[in-house]
Amino acid sequence: MDVIEQLAGSVTIVEPRGRIDSATAKEFGDRLSELLNSGRHQLVIDLHSITYISSAGFRQLLIAKRSIQDKNGKLVLCGISGEVKRLFDIGAFDELLPIYPTREASIANAQ
Amino acid sequence: MSAALNGKVSAGSAEELQPHQASSAIRGFLRRAYSAPILPATARKPSSLIYDADDRPGIVIALSNGIQHVGLISINLVYPLLICRAVDAPIPMVANLLSVGMIVLSIGTLIQVLRLGPVGSGYMLPSTFTASYFAPGLLAARIGGLPLVFGMTIFAGAIEALVAPMLNRLRTFLPVEVSGLVIFMLGVAAGLAGLRTVFGPTATPVNSAEWLVAAMTLGSMVALNIWAKGLARMLCALIGLTIGYAVALTAGLLNPALWSLVAQAAWLGIPQFGHFALSFNATLMAPFAIASLAAAMKAAGTLTICEKMNDSTWVRPDMRSITRGVLSDGLATIIAGIAGTPGGVNTSTPSAALASATGVASRNIALVAAAIFFLLGFCPKLTAVLAIMPRAVVVAALMYAVTFIMINGLQIMMSRMLDARRTFVLGLGILGGLTVEVFPASVNLMPSEIAAVAGSSLVASTAIALVLNLIFRIGVRKTATLGVEREQIDPQKIETFLFEQGKAWGARQDVTNRASFGVIQLVEAIAETYWKTGKMVVQASFDEYRMEIAVTYPGERLDLPEKRPSIEQIRDSEDGARLLGGFMLRRNADHIRSGIQDGKCTVHFLYDH
Repeated sequence: MDVIEQLAGSVTIVEPRGRIDSATAKEFGDRLSELLNSGRHQLVIDLHSITYISSAGFRQLLIAKRSIQDKNGKLVLCGISGEVKRLFDIGAFDELLPIYPTREASIANAQ
Repeated sequence: MSAALNGKVSAGSAEELQPHQASSAIRGFLRRAYSAPILPATARKPSSLIYDADDRPGIVIALSNGIQHVGLISINLVYPLLICRAVDAPIPMVANLLSVGMIVLSIGTLIQVLRLGPVGSGYMLPSTFTASYFAPGLLAARIGGLPLVFGMTIFAGAIEALVAPMLNRLRTFLPVEVSGLVIFMLGVAAGLAGLRTVFGPTATPVNSAEWLVAAMTLGSMVALNIWAKGLARMLCALIGLTIGYAVALTAGLLNPALWSLVAQAAWLGIPQFGHFALSFNATLMAPFAIASLAAAMKAAGTLTICEKMNDSTWVRPDMRSITRGVLSDGLATIIAGIAGTPGGVNTSTPSAALASATGVASRNIALVAAAIFFLLGFCPKLTAVLAIMPRAVVVAALMYAVTFIMINGLQIMMSRMLDARRTFVLGLGILGGLTVEVFPASVNLMPSEIAAVAGSSLVASTAIALVLNLIFRIGVRKTATLGVEREQIDPQKIETFLFEQGKAWGARQDVTNRASFGVIQLVEAIAETYWKTGKMVVQASFDEYRMEIAVTYPGERLDLPEKRPSIEQIRDSEDGARLLGGFMLRRNADHIRSGIQDGKCTVHFLYDH
């Protein structure tokens, strides 16, 4: 799994690519922690290049959300469609994580 | 001792129920039957919907939408009307039967909307008379008059209620494409039966005035449906009926003697219930049973539309809700037979489409429609107007209604990939049914016992399709196996295996996606702790109605919780991902079970196709 990062003002956009499963989830979670520890408290995670996410990936997203809340920051998701959206639906994760339809809307809401 | 004492006190005081206790019990009953939400807690209202099933719109919206639904449903009153005409029932009797029918529609709607015990889906689905029972009903009317129609209607309702809990298991024997064929043939049989009343060998020849009335009635309905917008389009059938009456009046088809019957009818009156005898006929069991299966499949389809319409996160049909809905549909048909209504009832598919178009799917609307039907049942003048409907208007309205039924059947058939097996099942089924319609004498070629049962196009068509479907299942099931070593887990390899097999078997992509997620998520969840050594075997099989995956590994069984673990459990526990994985596996499959034998655990996933 690759992770592409971009800045949009005070917001950091994180774009993982490939699969977030038990083999890659920890690496992904560690990268989010590093960003937080370096003072990037406003994160947008764009999942449009993700082909698969397992329970281990969802767990990392929930851990990241809690860590960001502890630092009064914001975590927002976007780019969720197709099979990944179905996985969000069966776990009812839209109740637990803020999701926006576009990257622009996510950036506006992460600030 | 204390519990027993409490039991005695409670039982003894039942007869001395205080007023406040009674009102509290009634409130509790109403809350469970009506106020309690029916949509799952995870449901999300789609943006296209203004009011979902659990919402409560204001009285103006409820009333205006309720009237629209009643207008939409009214076209189907032609079915009981034509059955009454088949036995030459006198106009006052027809008017009374239509009044009873209105009240039955009200009751049918109520038991669908209210959830009473195991009955009722709670969705906004008014009852309507259905074409499903029209052709068998006409047959019964000719053989044994209205008592036989009522008796066989009760039988059909009982069959529908009995099959309600078995619908999912019947899919193998009554697949989607055969359901489509049954619905198509119901439309064909109903349309031809209606046309025989004007073109049949014993029918009075059609005169030029009747041609004009029929053309104006059908033409206005079709034109409004195609080119009109808004309310005019939604109520095109009702407007067409009104135009038909007006033209018939101008053309002299409604003579003063008929109008005098309407004039004599009171504005308010109580209809007479159940004053007919009931009778049954074994030779009619097959056509009525097939019609009731078609009604059950159609109700299940309409309920699925309602589920989808109310929940943007909808994944697959909720069979508990569908069973409740089909059960109430069957009970409504039993009530129709007992009350003395010429024809069974069914959930109204056009009403579901109207709710989708208006964005108003609150069950309050169905309650308003039920109230309107109830009030109309006490208006003999209105039902007298319907009872004198000229045959040119009735048959034109029937043509309009059966057109939708036939095309609906065709669409259902075409929704499946038509391979060689299905092509023969459907093609020969249709041909067999049409043979009976075009060459009725062909029935005489069958043994007399079979001819008595299979002597209708609907039964012949369905029987041919069902038998061929069973024969052609030989060699349908295909199986493939993949071995996975504990030390060489490669999710991509598992995914490729399932996708290649799915493609080769003609499985739908969404089903293969679900199967692939299931196996990979299971491997992830068990790899750390439950599966420590040895080889895992993934066996996939497919028989066009379902994909089954059996995953066997040496080790322990994974928990598959029914409820999603709490956020704290997922996030803070080391087991969080595994617990969540078990829950997602359960939600991802249509059915899942696991068991251990000789130290090996097998998880069975089933995905409906």
